[in-house]
Amino acid sequence: MKRILIVDDEAHITLVLKMHLERAGYAIETANNGKAGLEAVTRQAPDALITDIQMPLMTGRELCLAIGQALPARTFPILVMTSRTDREEREWTAAIPLLEFLEKPVSMRSVLSRLEKHLGSGVVAGATP
Amino acid sequence: MSNEILCLMDFARYQRWLDRAAGHPTCFMVLGKQGDVVWGEGRAQAAEIGRTIAATGDAAEGVHRIAWGDSQMVLYKPLVMTGVGQMGWSAILVDSLDDKSAPPSLDHLVEAFDDLSIGIADEYRQKSELRSMTEELGSRYEELHLVYSVDRHVQAQTRKHDGVFHDLLHSAAEHLNADVVAFVRPSKDICQYATNLSKEIHNLDLVLVEMRGDLFRFIQASRDSLVINEAADPRRAYIFTDMPYKILACPMHVDGRVDSIVVLINHMHKKDFSNSDRNLTEILANQLSSLSNMHLLLEGMREFNQQLAMTLIEAVEAKDPYTRGHSDRVHHLSMEIGRAMGLPEDELEDLHWGSLLHDVGKIGIPDAVLCKPSRLSKDEYTFIMVHPERSYEILRHVKHLEKAVLGARHHQEMYDGKGYPHGLKGNNIPLHGRIIAVADTYDSITSSRAYRAGRSHEVAMKEIARVAGSQLDPAIVEVFQNIAAAEPEWLKRFQIRRDAA
Repeated sequence: MKRILIVDDEAHITLVLKMHLERAGYAIETANNGKAGLEAVTRQAPDALITDIQMPLMTGRELCLAIGQALPARTFPILVMTSRTDREEREWTAAIPLLEFLEKPVSMRSVLSRLEKHLGSGVVAGATP
Repeated sequence: MSNEILCLMDFARYQRWLDRAAGHPTCFMVLGKQGDVVWGEGRAQAAEIGRTIAATGDAAEGVHRIAWGDSQMVLYKPLVMTGVGQMGWSAILVDSLDDKSAPPSLDHLVEAFDDLSIGIADEYRQKSELRSMTEELGSRYEELHLVYSVDRHVQAQTRKHDGVFHDLLHSAAEHLNADVVAFVRPSKDICQYATNLSKEIHNLDLVLVEMRGDLFRFIQASRDSLVINEAADPRRAYIFTDMPYKILACPMHVDGRVDSIVVLINHMHKKDFSNSDRNLTEILANQLSSLSNMHLLLEGMREFNQQLAMTLIEAVEAKDPYTRGHSDRVHHLSMEIGRAMGLPEDELEDLHWGSLLHDVGKIGIPDAVLCKPSRLSKDEYTFIMVHPERSYEILRHVKHLEKAVLGARHHQEMYDGKGYPHGLKGNNIPLHGRIIAVADTYDSITSSRAYRAGRSHEVAMKEIARVAGSQLDPAIVEVFQNIAAAEPEWLKRFQIRRDAA
């Protein structure tokens, strides 16, 4: 089962994402700030990372840069959730490979289609129909 | 309801709970409503027990018993969720001998089993509530996402009128994963579409014709959204006859009538259109419809503005028949230069009005001066010299023309600072003023005046080249020369005289 790490301090977003992605057959790990996210990534690299930008302790930007330092040969994609107010922040991401944006409010459809694009559709559904 | 939620639950802790209560490992099973085994699959007789309970089980509340073989019995209990009904069964297989053995007695075990089953039903209820809440939240996000994305497109493109629809439809096609998304509004002759093809559609033109025709009429009559997924849907006899696509169409009502529809088309190999697709498309239809109204209003306003401006220009040109068409020509040439220079959309809009209205100030020049066929006296020439400032005074009250007015005010400045009204020099002259000056010079030479006939294109170009750097901005002259070298269509349209090569 593909493992997805969700890093966001807003519990409702994490919950909705988790429920939807679990239904689609992904294994979900969550962290509520960048620091906890970085620990989770260094403990075991996920198959994909979904992160917010504005977070306490360590922001999404700091998280992405720290991952770049810790794992220079990273192969998993990072999906960054941005709202309108974050749009100016897009410049720093230009140099980071395998990074995409998810416009907030995040559409579950687009999250699933992005994940499928990166991880293939070889996800075995955890639930029987 | 499927067993989806049951399957997601972890029954290991219930198993441990039961084992502790019994004092030894128990044969515990959770079954779906049809008796299918959800937990305890490994148990030798689970499947058979499941079938038996599903066929003959008592669905009344409480723990029931079935004798099983010679020395065993099955205790089972329906798992019931208030308001939803039964979602399955829990069951244990015990030795009948346990009845006499003590402790723990069978009663004790039955009690534990009963409690545990209530626990399972509770957890099920919580899980299913959480699920429906997250589903609801998820679909709200979906709607918000769509509305925000429409808003973003509109904000980014308020100036580009045609592009916004196409871009919007295209992003909707991607978001909804549809092959074709179209917005159809026959009353205004609008049929905009975007494709995101998963596979070629060979008869797209025909599909679009059908949308405007039969499909629109069908929705107009039914007044409701239409979803056709099945190949054998009987409604296909009326719509898209012989066109094997999945169709989702949502109407937008105006004054109780279907005014426009949004149509999604998918190849048959794609997933069926869902309720969520339908909800989102209905929202999209609403958004597109108000956007379309806004555009029509905006178009109407633009047209009105243009007509007002033309009225003003005609008032000026009526004073001097020789200047007829001058504003229009200078406008055309200025826009050619502006576009060739790659000016952004908003600047072109300013240049549009500035060049069109640059001579409005001439309305203040006495006819005797304006139409005098002979040389002007110094006093008379002063009237001519104030006309750009007059244009400014007339137009400055129009807020929308704030920037456009600069071009009109300074179109008679010269690059070397010897022009009027302010004697500005070089790049101190507003860019639009310098552009209009080149266009104005060209038209003054090539068009007929009260005192002379118009001269040829070649003469004008030679003269413009001569005054580049003194009267005119050499950089803009160069742009103009490049345009003119490509034999532009206006040479014919404005009937500019040509010299034989």
